[in-house]
Amino acid sequence: MDAAVTSAPTPVPVTRTAGEAASADSPAGGGRPPRAAGRTPRPHRARRENLAGYLFMSPWIAGFLLLTAGPMVASLYFAFTDYNLFDAPKWIGLDNFTEMFGDPRWRTSVEITGWYVVIGTPLKLAAALGVALLLNQSRRGQGFYRAAFYAPSLIGASVSIAIVWRAIFSDGAAVDRAQRVFGLDAGGWIGDPDRIIYALVALTVWQFGAPMVIFLAGLKQVPRELYEAAQVDGASPWRRFWHITLPMISPVLFFNVLLETIHSFQIFGSAYIIGSQGNACGPADGTLVYTCYLYIQGFENSRMGLASAMAWMLLLAVGLVTAVLFWSQRRWVHYEEGAR
Amino acid sequence: MLKVAGGSLAALGLTAAGCGTGSGSGDGTVTLRYSWWGSEDRAKRINQSIALFEKKFPKIKIKTDFQPYADFWKKFNTQASGGNAPDVFQNAIGFLRKYDAKNVLLDLREQAGAGNLRLDGFRAGLEKFGEVDGKLLGVPVGSNSMALVVDQAVFTKAGVSPKPGWTWDEYHEALARIRQTQGRAGDAGPYGIMYLYDLYLRQQGKAFFTTSGLGFTEADLTDWWTKAAARVKSGVYADPKKTIPAKPKSAVTAELAGCEFTWDNFAVRYTAEGKSRYGLAPIPTTDGRKTGQYLGSLMLSASKRTEHPKEAAQFIDFMVHDPEVGKIMGYDRGVPATEAQYQAYVPTDEVGKQIAAYEKQLVESRVLEPITPHPAGADVCEAAFMRLAEEMSLGERPVADAVKQYFTEAKTALSS
Repeated sequence: MDAAVTSAPTPVPVTRTAGEAASADSPAGGGRPPRAAGRTPRPHRARRENLAGYLFMSPWIAGFLLLTAGPMVASLYFAFTDYNLFDAPKWIGLDNFTEMFGDPRWRTSVEITGWYVVIGTPLKLAAALGVALLLNQSRRGQGFYRAAFYAPSLIGASVSIAIVWRAIFSDGAAVDRAQRVFGLDAGGWIGDPDRIIYALVALTVWQFGAPMVIFLAGLKQVPRELYEAAQVDGASPWRRFWHITLPMISPVLFFNVLLETIHSFQIFGSAYIIGSQGNACGPADGTLVYTCYLYIQGFENSRMGLASAMAWMLLLAVGLVTAVLFWSQRRWVHYEEGAR
Repeated sequence: MLKVAGGSLAALGLTAAGCGTGSGSGDGTVTLRYSWWGSEDRAKRINQSIALFEKKFPKIKIKTDFQPYADFWKKFNTQASGGNAPDVFQNAIGFLRKYDAKNVLLDLREQAGAGNLRLDGFRAGLEKFGEVDGKLLGVPVGSNSMALVVDQAVFTKAGVSPKPGWTWDEYHEALARIRQTQGRAGDAGPYGIMYLYDLYLRQQGKAFFTTSGLGFTEADLTDWWTKAAARVKSGVYADPKKTIPAKPKSAVTAELAGCEFTWDNFAVRYTAEGKSRYGLAPIPTTDGRKTGQYLGSLMLSASKRTEHPKEAAQFIDFMVHDPEVGKIMGYDRGVPATEAQYQAYVPTDEVGKQIAAYEKQLVESRVLEPITPHPAGADVCEAAFMRLAEEMSLGERPVADAVKQYFTEAKTALSS
């Protein structure tokens, strides 16, 4: 159950790996143009190579079946049952879903998560792109800056950072005191259910290292001649960014948007920890993101059936958003013909 | 194990992971898993007690595991559902029926009959505390009761001195006085403490729970929370926007409030946490006499699936009766439940003396009553009560809305 809950949103990365595995497999097998018939008959050799491929993949396949596919199938079944971990699951059809949609707390969690995705993701990507542009110029100490800006992402997933964040945004702590300098005596953000979510957004924006590195790689790929030509034509830096940089890195941008959006939907750790005094996930449900509520229903209220139904709902939502993003890329993602 | 694992694929992983632990080895040595909730300080004391036990029972080894209260129950629930509950664990009244209904708790009556667990020598009838429907599901290790922890300096300066039998009106006058003279909120805000609201209800002949449901009406709760909302607004109760981020520090030691209701044995931590002197005051009453109080207790329970019920019972017996353990544990788990441990530990520190005096006064003034039943689902009810009270106090939810939501959630929790 645990695996199903935490891995519910993973199928996107999972299918990607599956795809990669499949394509890696095919050139070794049937994909190769038949050379002049050698001593070994082709079908036999292909089968042997396939076998070797599957053998090498077997740890992954076993892990996938046992740790991902199995629990997912189980969780799909539990989604239609009343299951408290102790008694045998009882089939109740769509009742979990009806209850979910009628639950005001569930709607709160959807709103908060939606808000977090819509606000947090673009801010994070903007920060990542902005810093990547700065770091793309050759200056002294570039290596140090790149490492320094990437560092928060390395430690970012840890519980300790969330705890530090909590301390920074508490009443009377650093952020509160800084606010007072500007005459904004509003107390800390942690105790305020309307503002605590901004602390989460700030945390995710601060952890822009991973998309930044990807942006940086993308920026390195943009041919210098384009800028030179534009400069000769007298294009301003802004126009160069808008008409050269952005279209040229749009595949990278698309990749980052996709990854970060999916990632944002799955926010749990920071919300759970930063909002965890008194009630889990925030004062007055201020950081009750979707996975947080899912966790509460599953592990605090022992309603694993309902939690499974929620996990599948999340999977559907993430799948839908991903599909929309893929559909939209025709309009704004520019793939160079015969990319360099 | 078969029943659970047969019903669920997911539980399979949990049981498989747990199968290797808890069994005996060739030389007859038995290992028991013992888990409990609490702080580092309690961990030190428990480890000392266990060292004593292992010396006396060289064939039994104890493996411990501990978490804070809320995390403890999440972990326990997961373990128990996989048929892998610890052999011996700390328990409380709110969880007895829940885990009895789920077939997790060992009826210790049999072990008591076999002489592995003594049920005599308990104070004030405490041995009855862990009984549910004739089964003995837990053995009390210490008694505690709700109390009002006060910042004595603040109370003295404000000229307030609570006496047994004081009324809620007098209590609220005192809070207003503290607010006026000391510029500090009077109380941290009692509106979210289920156990205190239970006392308030009991003073009026009602109770928080009946054996199967809630023992109060929407109108009762509306009254309680409407008054609370007004008091938060007027500053008599502390601003939740300040007290919430101060946690885990209490509102009293963070100097945000003059007093707050909590369990009397928690008083120990205040002195360590804050700068002032802290004391215990009696629970306010409605009629000048009845406080609604009862003795509560932490208990030790054993798992129904333990392979070593005899050793588990011996360990519980040792932790509950041994005088040396009493000396080591002090009042950490409440005032010791057995005479032997109660006699063995004489508090020398001021807080310990106060707790002893407080409970002595409770017993002698004969205000104590039998405890309210805690139906299965009581723990979820408590969490919802705390959360909705918080939302109400923050002004995020109108009182009427919070009350309605509470009854909806409690009904779901108590029916499932």
